[in-house]
Amino acid sequence: MSYDFLETILFALLTIGIVGGAVGVVFLNRITGAALLMAFTFLCNAGMFVLLGAETIAAFQVLIYVGAITVLILYGVMFTPQQHRPYALFFQKQTPWAALFVAPIAIFVALFAFSFRDSAHPTPRGGDLVPLATSVFKDFAFPFEVASVLLLAAMIGAIVLVKRDEDE
Amino acid sequence: MTIPVGAFIAVSSILFFLGVTGVLVRRNAVVILMCVELMLNAANLALVAFSRRAGSVDERGSVFVVFVFVIAAAEVAVGLAIVLAAYRNRPTVDVDEVHAMKG
Repeated sequence: MSYDFLETILFALLTIGIVGGAVGVVFLNRITGAALLMAFTFLCNAGMFVLLGAETIAAFQVLIYVGAITVLILYGVMFTPQQHRPYALFFQKQTPWAALFVAPIAIFVALFAFSFRDSAHPTPRGGDLVPLATSVFKDFAFPFEVASVLLLAAMIGAIVLVKRDEDE
Repeated sequence: MTIPVGAFIAVSSILFFLGVTGVLVRRNAVVILMCVELMLNAANLALVAFSRRAGSVDERGSVFVVFVFVIAAAEVAVGLAIVLAAYRNRPTVDVDEVHAMKG
């Protein structure tokens, strides 16, 4: 007996999770709820990576996005005042123009996306960690080092931006 | 594997445009940062899906996803620092009310 239908069911559930979570992030008035729904969307995205056979990326996704970035965003929510407001004050002034601008491009890109019909094939066995690590440390060794320098620069920049002066 | 690559790309594009909508529509700067993260996630999904197309054998898509993780971490750290610094200057996180550089 084949279990192929399970894949389709999982894909449908994850799609519902991703789209529902993202809609919640965009339209929810309560900002803490939006942040938690963002974490849920990231988690469903990790499920998509597993479905595609990229387990290492899924683990990174859970560690970095669901763990670190969500906590960072929640700290940002904590340090800034959040008041509930009516929907008229909730959206920016250019909302109708933005909708007009986004809709045609969205339709075009969606049509383009459905033109890829060949089926995905996950890596057959042994996971993707070994080829990923080989690629990072062989072909992409220099960008890897540059990325670490970028992280250092971002860390110093964030500290300098948020630091208070002594005499304040 | 029965699911076509196009289905993953479709989910990725829907997620990306929800992110674009959030960035263009919401006022709260923290929510705008969240929507940028959604867009980066959509790009990651597209990269992994394309690297799994029939016929491709290497892991380059996943390598780019790792670099996107690094950029996203740096971006959200600096972005939140800027939001907090702007909030200290004038107590609002509404992007409409921060117009010191408006021409």
